[in-house]
Amino acid sequence: MAAVTAPTLPGVAGEEPTRLHVSDYLRWSVDHKIIGVQYMATALFFFIFGGALAMLIRWELLTPAIDLMADGQAYNSLFSIHGTVMIFLWIIPMIAGLGNYLVPLMLGAKDMAFPWLNAFAFWLIPPAGMLMILGYFVGQTEAGWTSYPPLSTLFSGDGQTLWALSLHLLGISSILGSINFIVTIRNMRPAGMGYFQMPLFVWAVLATSIIVVMATPFLAGALTLLILDRVAGTAFFNPAQGGDVLLWQNVFWFYSHPAVYIMVLPAFGVISELLAVHSRKPVFGYRAIALSSMAIALVGFTVWAHHMFTSLTPELRIPFMITSMIIAVPTGIKVFSWLGTIWGGKIHFTSAMLFALSFLSMFVIGGISGVMLGSVPWDIHVHDTYFVVSHLHFVLFGGSVLAIYGGIYHWFPKITGRMLDERLGKIHFWITYPAFFLTFFPMHLAGMLGMPRRVAQYAPEFQTLNVIISIAAFVLGISTFILLYNIVWSLYHGEKASANPWRALTLEWATSSPPPSTNFIGDPVPFPNPYGYGTEAAYNYVESQNKKYGTVNPADYLPAEKSTAVTSE
Amino acid sequence: MSSSHPPSPRSTPNMTPSLALIIVGVVVMIAGGLGFTLFIPMILPPQASTQAQQVDQLFTFLLFFGGVIFILVEGVILVSVIRFRAQPGDLADGPPVSGNTTLELVWTAIPAVLVTVLAILSYTVWINTRAIPANEMSVGATAARFAWTFNYEVGQETLPTTLNFGDLKPEIQADLTDEDGVVHFNNPKLYTWVGQPVVMEMQSQDVNHAFWIPAMRVKQDVLPGRTTEIRFTPTMAGNYRIVCAELCGSGHGAMAGEVGRDGELLGAWLIVFENEEDYLANFFDPAAATVLVPPDDPALLGRQILASGAYPCATCHTLDDLGWTGNIGPNMNGIGDRAAARAQTTGDADGAAYLEHSLRHPGDYLVPGFGNLMPQFNPDPGQPNYMPQSDLDAIVAYLLTQTANPSN
Ligand code: HEC
Ligand SMILES: [Cu+2]
Ligand SMILES: [Cu+2]
Repeated sequence: MAAVTAPTLPGVAGEEPTRLHVSDYLRWSVDHKIIGVQYMATALFFFIFGGALAMLIRWELLTPAIDLMADGQAYNSLFSIHGTVMIFLWIIPMIAGLGNYLVPLMLGAKDMAFPWLNAFAFWLIPPAGMLMILGYFVGQTEAGWTSYPPLSTLFSGDGQTLWALSLHLLGISSILGSINFIVTIRNMRPAGMGYFQMPLFVWAVLATSIIVVMATPFLAGALTLLILDRVAGTAFFNPAQGGDVLLWQNVFWFYSHPAVYIMVLPAFGVISELLAVHSRKPVFGYRAIALSSMAIALVGFTVWAHHMFTSLTPELRIPFMITSMIIAVPTGIKVFSWLGTIWGGKIHFTSAMLFALSFLSMFVIGGISGVMLGSVPWDIHVHDTYFVVSHLHFVLFGGSVLAIYGGIYHWFPKITGRMLDERLGKIHFWITYPAFFLTFFPMHLAGMLGMPRRVAQYAPEFQTLNVIISIAAFVLGISTFILLYNIVWSLYHGEKASANPWRALTLEWATSSPPPSTNFIGDPVPFPNPYGYGTEAAYNYVESQNKKYGTVNPADYLPAEKSTAVTSE
Repeated sequence: MSSSHPPSPRSTPNMTPSLALIIVGVVVMIAGGLGFTLFIPMILPPQASTQAQQVDQLFTFLLFFGGVIFILVEGVILVSVIRFRAQPGDLADGPPVSGNTTLELVWTAIPAVLVTVLAILSYTVWINTRAIPANEMSVGATAARFAWTFNYEVGQETLPTTLNFGDLKPEIQADLTDEDGVVHFNNPKLYTWVGQPVVMEMQSQDVNHAFWIPAMRVKQDVLPGRTTEIRFTPTMAGNYRIVCAELCGSGHGAMAGEVGRDGELLGAWLIVFENEEDYLANFFDPAAATVLVPPDDPALLGRQILASGAYPCATCHTLDDLGWTGNIGPNMNGIGDRAAARAQTTGDADGAAYLEHSLRHPGDYLVPGFGNLMPQFNPDPGQPNYMPQSDLDAIVAYLLTQTANPSN
């Protein structure tokens, strides 16, 4: 390792970690790191916007009558935009941002394969977001994020057209970004890194990108038909003129079921990284985790109609039940492999790890309710009720968002060169975790007992449950600001981060924090096993890096031990 | 400082769980799984149909196995964070164990077997709940934003003996004397009795809706352009909410059975009588009878038509006289006074003409502050939202009597 000396790369000799100004992030740039941050910052903005809408939803649901909102239509716009924003402008771009920042670094590459395309894909998002928000204010975007016709065609206003146009742009952005990921991962791995030496996050991004490239064109197709029906007088979805309302449902879910995996596979990747690093133990069953991502990606294309168990022709329901049950198996493999990873390790309760563990404990509930929903007779009772709202939030908040939180604590030092404050991190965690559970778990009960989703008015017997849910939701909403405060505070005052504060073996840590604009000085040599913890070689590898990049005092940033280490040694 | 910590792959903590831990674990899993199922009666609506009995049984299995997996996963996490937490200052790694093929095969096989079992159970329940029973009663359902209307076809023998043929509405008389001798009429309530299987034949007049009776555990989307079906057999007498479960627009939440201020049942309800006699005695009373035997006074008739819920006005409009509380459209209190004034704005001849216009072509003139949400009530039986001229005249006559009620 020591053979690599800085001056081999002309122009970057001894380059200081690049200090970027805020304005660098507001401009067109083709540096994947800047683009990654642009994605993440944009996504966080929309997270707050979507979260604010969620707070209004919960405020309205404090009472059985419509009172906060002017009418049912205003309420419908609220949850329609909330759902769409959270999925398409928060989780998906946030993950694209993490992927953009990390994939080239994890591969030891200088950038993505197509830097210009990368920037272009990002710059489609702000206008798309503006269209979406505009759609909300124009109004009558009231058909939900699933926008079933004919409510979304014959019975909605211009907001619905803007909604569809916005999704079109976001779809293009996703496809372009994913092509870039696939080519980068296929072609830019360093010498010594075969597919099965790639970090699991990279595997997850690869599987996700394959899904995006295959599925998103179907969304585009469906949206095109919807827009034509709305503005050009066609009747694809209008039964009065020979159209079919189920056509939309089939094509939409052919994209949108896989979209669930678009949102959750990268989260799985994040979790595999975090659990291994913070419990200092190799990932248990690396191949099983890598390949199960691919299995999920594949089987994920055969289950879409489980969202249509109450509308689909009855004879077709059973085949989709079978495929939906099968997909539980590869997901189960992952969960057990993660349990195998932490079992017997040396678990460090960093904020990143706390969130990773909370993911593990909450996602499993979403998995169990998912299998229940796969069972046709049970699904028929709870379809389109709060049971489903609960399920999807356990998967997307308990899954994706908690993993993203963990990822933020884990990679913030790499991205900014400063640590997030661990004490605030723990406060954030201990408020978020119970508030999350109390917000979403009681929703199962409301649904089973008879409360449909997407209603501003409900039967009075559900009020107690809804009040509990709303109060917990307000706490959950507030807890987000602890994270945001932590991010802003730490950017300026956070403790300086060393190159490899978590002593991890993947390549993104084999460079300064933040990395120079060329990412690495010289060509980085990957450690043969990205999770080879517990060996002499791994220890020496981390040591050699510490020597190369220097460590910030204290040598190892492990806050739980830090105080003891300082006082006792 | 870091060099003072030796790499310690050899200080392996004991990873193999003791037999005692495994036994305790299995016992807790099974007991916990069973424990969860004890809550079922509390977390489900009344179990009021044969379908509900089977679905609940299936749910018991789902909850039991789900509970076992839940306890297993949370248990392993809990034991791990207690037992394998790094001691302060311990910078050594865990053991370099990166897999175990047997274990991985086991935890692939167990979920695979489990979902197979659940799929087979679900399939049998599915087949049973959909079986077509003998002597089922067929009722039509029409969904329109934002109300349900049930369409009955009953033979003459079912009509209560207290009804006098001569008193019946002309259409009903015609119905009775034509070839099939079957009477057609609409009602916002769905009636049946314990043990009588029902099959619903459902159609939508506008957007997608879903017909859901939580107590029966049945749900089926109602889609424009097709007829869909659902079957259930009640096992318990009572009144049960009928809920719209598919987002259908601003009044979606109101498209469910409601309880009025005085405990009366508003909107769609399923009413299950103890037995056939009870059903026959109550079926036509009071709402349906007024449809069969119309009063002569048009305003009274109009009131009865609207009170019967044959048209979905209540979810959108407020009218104290009929206990309507909707707020999607304008308040109808005092509409008799306002109609004449509005007629001048719209160019209609008088208040009655304005009201007729409002029902036949609601989009022509929008009351300020309201959107174009009111369904168009058509004079032609082939069109959606059919409203015969005779009904319309009666409704208009009634609305004109709603004066001097200044709570708008
Ligand atoms: C889906 C909701 C909805 C339903 C159902 C509905 N209306 Fe309306 N109605 C409205 C709205 C919204 C307006 C105001 C916009 C307009 O003038 O078309 C309105 C307006 C009216 C007006 C004019 C009121 C005025 O102040 O000038 C009358 C009369 C009326 N409705 C009667 C009825 C009757 C009778 C029924 C049942 C047969 C009915 N509506 C069903 C929504 C509805
Ligand atoms: Cu799905
Ligand atoms: Cu409806």
